[in-house]
Amino acid sequence: MAHITLNQYLQQVLEAIDSRDGAFCAEMLSFKHPHVANPRLQLSSPEEKSMHLHCIFTMCSSFQAHKEENWALPIMFAATLDLRIFANNAEQQLQSKGKGKVGDMLEKAAEQLMSCFRVCASDNRAGIDDSKKWGMLFLINQLFKIYFKINKLHLCKPLIRAIDSSNLKDDYSTAQRVTYKYYVGRKAMFDSDFKQAEEYLAFSFTHCHRSCQRNKRLILIYLLPVKMLLGHMPTHQLLKKYDLMQFADVTKAVSEGNLLLLNEALVKHETFFIRCGIFLILEKLKIITYRNLFKKVYHLLKTHQLPLDAFLVALKMMKVEDVDIDEVQCILANLIYMGHIKGYISHQHQKLVVSKQNPFPPLSSVS
Amino acid sequence: MAANAAQQAPTPNWPYGSNSSGESKVHENPEWEKARQALASISKSQNSTKTSPTNHTTQQTGPYQATDSSAMQQQQQQYYQQWYQQNQQQYAGYPYPYNYYYPMPPYGGPYPPGQYGVPGGYQTPATPTGQAPAMPMMEDQSIRPGYQGYQTPAYQPPQQQGPGQGLYGGPGRVDAKKPNNSNMNKGGQQLWQRMKQAPGSGAVKFNIQKRPYVMTNQNFPSGDQAPGLASPTATNPSPGSVAATSTTSTGAAQTRPQDWPQAMKEYVQRCFTACESEEDKDRTEKVLKDLLQSRLQDGSAYTIDWTREPLPDLKTKQSRWEAVPQRSQENAIGRGGATRGRLGARLGNYRNVFSQRSPSSSSSHSSRSSSRSPSPHSRHRDRSRHHRSDSGSQSDSSMSSDPRLPLSRRQQKGGRGRGAGRERGRGAAGERGRGRGKANRGRRNMEDLASGIGKKRKGGNAGLDFHDPNREAKKQSRAARFHTKLRTEPLVLNINVFDLPNGTQEGLSWDECPIVGTCQDITKNYLRLTCAPDPATVRPISVLRKSLIAVKTHWKSNQDYLYACEQMKSIRQDLTVQGVRTDFTVEVYETHARIALEKGDHEEFNQCQTQLKALYKDCSSDNVGEFTSYRLIYYIFTKNSGDLTTELVYLTPELRADPCVAHALELRNAWALGNFHRFFKLYQNAPRMAAYLIDKFVERERNLALRAILKTFRPSVPVEYVQSSLAFSDLDSCLAFLTGLGVTFTPSDPSKIDCKVSSASLTTL
Repeated sequence: MAHITLNQYLQQVLEAIDSRDGAFCAEMLSFKHPHVANPRLQLSSPEEKSMHLHCIFTMCSSFQAHKEENWALPIMFAATLDLRIFANNAEQQLQSKGKGKVGDMLEKAAEQLMSCFRVCASDNRAGIDDSKKWGMLFLINQLFKIYFKINKLHLCKPLIRAIDSSNLKDDYSTAQRVTYKYYVGRKAMFDSDFKQAEEYLAFSFTHCHRSCQRNKRLILIYLLPVKMLLGHMPTHQLLKKYDLMQFADVTKAVSEGNLLLLNEALVKHETFFIRCGIFLILEKLKIITYRNLFKKVYHLLKTHQLPLDAFLVALKMMKVEDVDIDEVQCILANLIYMGHIKGYISHQHQKLVVSKQNPFPPLSSVS
Repeated sequence: MAANAAQQAPTPNWPYGSNSSGESKVHENPEWEKARQALASISKSQNSTKTSPTNHTTQQTGPYQATDSSAMQQQQQQYYQQWYQQNQQQYAGYPYPYNYYYPMPPYGGPYPPGQYGVPGGYQTPATPTGQAPAMPMMEDQSIRPGYQGYQTPAYQPPQQQGPGQGLYGGPGRVDAKKPNNSNMNKGGQQLWQRMKQAPGSGAVKFNIQKRPYVMTNQNFPSGDQAPGLASPTATNPSPGSVAATSTTSTGAAQTRPQDWPQAMKEYVQRCFTACESEEDKDRTEKVLKDLLQSRLQDGSAYTIDWTREPLPDLKTKQSRWEAVPQRSQENAIGRGGATRGRLGARLGNYRNVFSQRSPSSSSSHSSRSSSRSPSPHSRHRDRSRHHRSDSGSQSDSSMSSDPRLPLSRRQQKGGRGRGAGRERGRGAAGERGRGRGKANRGRRNMEDLASGIGKKRKGGNAGLDFHDPNREAKKQSRAARFHTKLRTEPLVLNINVFDLPNGTQEGLSWDECPIVGTCQDITKNYLRLTCAPDPATVRPISVLRKSLIAVKTHWKSNQDYLYACEQMKSIRQDLTVQGVRTDFTVEVYETHARIALEKGDHEEFNQCQTQLKALYKDCSSDNVGEFTSYRLIYYIFTKNSGDLTTELVYLTPELRADPCVAHALELRNAWALGNFHRFFKLYQNAPRMAAYLIDKFVERERNLALRAILKTFRPSVPVEYVQSSLAFSDLDSCLAFLTGLGVTFTPSDPSKIDCKVSSASLTTL
């Protein structure tokens, strides 16, 4: 197979098209297909490769002309996938040469994808089985990948809306839905909508195929912080299984209210967290850690009227620098404001008065 | 398909292959035909009869002199287009072995890039394909190594394709014609030499073949070619011999183009520029050919007033169609594999003969040939690749050669750099709608091709990396063209043309062709550029330095932001236009950013920040930290956690240590955790001008903090606490803020806020 001639190759493509065998044709046209290795097609200039993509997009536009048919969807999938990968590579090469604007290639690719998406989304006339709407989610996923890469999350919104309003949204293939929910979940996380983020990412995680360990790990990277923010701490086992031990100390610190350890853990794995884009989320765990620390203070003092000095001592023990009583009030105010502590501060008496029932409500019931 | 058949005429260049299968005709691309010039054809016809015999003997020396890389490009392009389309049509049906050698990519874009891949495969002898056993012409292969060797020194990149394709041409192959042709074109001199022994081919056949060569050669003055010849290959003929042969071959009998009266050349040009469509051009060509031939023969060409000569009547459609089949026939004969060697030799000669053509004729030809871009696809592609040339032609499709253009100008166009499209685009707008558009397109296509080739070369086919001795000269002439264009033409089109991704003026455009200002005014009002900058109104750096100082002092004394902003903008503009990216540029932007920040001019501030970010990559500054911190703070303002994260990724430890950045990071931390106490403490201690920036969202943060306070404290909280926590400078401003939010004070003590009541009212806000 690896050494079929171009003639044979083209023959096969032709047959596939004639027989409307979209899946096979897609396989043929994909850049993953061995025909690409044919020396006759080797191009020394990467830019020339865009030709390949161009051909493909010509086809996609003709695809639009095929009314009431959607057999060519797999072809489009293959083409768009290649396009995105190429854009990625082009982007990297340009960057390494210090040329071009960041994200420019990807944006162009996104433009193309959007035009395909419009074709699919506007296919209203065909029956549900022949509708090109079945291609929407795949395209959206590709677009998400680009948008996340170039940090244009706001562009995801209309796409999400399109799927939300689609009656097909639960009928797409699981693979596509897993990808989709992964990205939507991530977006929700960045938007601080942790409940929704948890729901989507959890769906993604549980439905992701078990052989896709890498994908599961990716999902976990975002699911873990969200879960932790909502009070669910991952087990050591889980972290080990997915090689996410960077979270181990964080988990430990948060559940123990060990602010010091948390700070250390965050600093230690800062690069990893920042690269994953979760550093700012993990930072919010500090609030949870405060809560757990203060909860300990409360348990130690065993009273409902807690002197603010006690919290100050606790914070100082955690080596929080130049903290003063005002800052303690501020931290407490935030915890109360966010619902992590039920109670109030008496400024006059410099005391925190906590509720007699359940002064530290479980995290999952908060926020 | 009739058109296709007709188009075959130009293709006779291919020595063999058509006879082997009937398909060849079918494959002929219409585009081919178009790639001709009247001049070319004329000369061809003259030569065909007279020179062919001599050519046979002298072949080796002549052909290669003439070949100039750019000329070749043009030729090649034509061939490729044709070839490519051929492939497209046929591939399914082709018998296996032939397909195997197809250089073209299987899928449908009409554009030629796929071809480039081909030579690569074959150039390396080691490549399996290169030695394909199926190849009928074994001699080709054996020749190849030497061939390459020869080319390496003498030729430019475009010619790389020559050898590779040459190999493919087997006598029996249908598509062989093209590869062969390219071979010849590219001047595998040795190749042709060896082929001499091939059985003779009729002179007639060669008439047709000559054309492309003629045209292409004309672009280049004969002087240029000498160096190319001089390349140090043993097989290379000495320049002297070349010259000798060329003279003999051309002979007195023949009128060489450069001998033509200038007026006549111009007349030919006029004829072509008057054409409205490709058909017109073809017809014109035909008519002109006959006309000029007869004129030259009876000598009237030198006596009549060409300027008054009426343009040819184009209603000769019929004749054109007649002519074509005839030619194609010739073609077929000529293509016999056996004759190939001879053909090659002859071609070489022809080329030589025509090498000294006058540039004028070539220019018109080139425009025509290029006008045959195969299909819209190629255009699309071009667009994406070469924004400039592309959009230029798009923006004004009605251009192309203006008959009134001075000859010299046209010559330049023949050379056809990127700029050519633009230049033309500006030419005679709307004069010749469709035809010109086509021409333009074609040109673009060619540029595309050329650049593709260039790229390929970079890609490192070391063996075939040709060096064209003329390159520098050509480059210069191109540059010169560019230069004049910049000055003389309005910039309007340029703006369209440069739809580069970075729409900022910083684009490559300025870097490529910086101008140096001569204006000596210290102050200058900002005017948005709508046309090419005039150096007389642009200030050089030395003056700009003074300007900056003047603006600064004026700002300090008068605080007139409008004036300062305008002056800064004009300074920035002058810097941009001149492509100055130095420490001074950084200083200007930093200054403007600070002034804008102080006055809360968001827009200008952000513009400066964007530029500074880019500038800092090239120029160091002591203020990198400061402006990085501003960026961080700005992201806090916009709550853009995504960009914030990105920014964090790129923070180096050194930058983090910068006091400004460290402050911004702390501020961000406090902000993220809602630690308003710390946040406002940092606000009060903000370094440099960070406080100006924080001012933008301090109100928002105060509001949030106040909500938390009111919800937390019971039963009341003193106003003083709020004032100190939220960093109000004095009690009054705090009270104003509180009352503005409808906060209720405890009735008994107005210095305290009734939290419960206030909280309720605040949440309803």
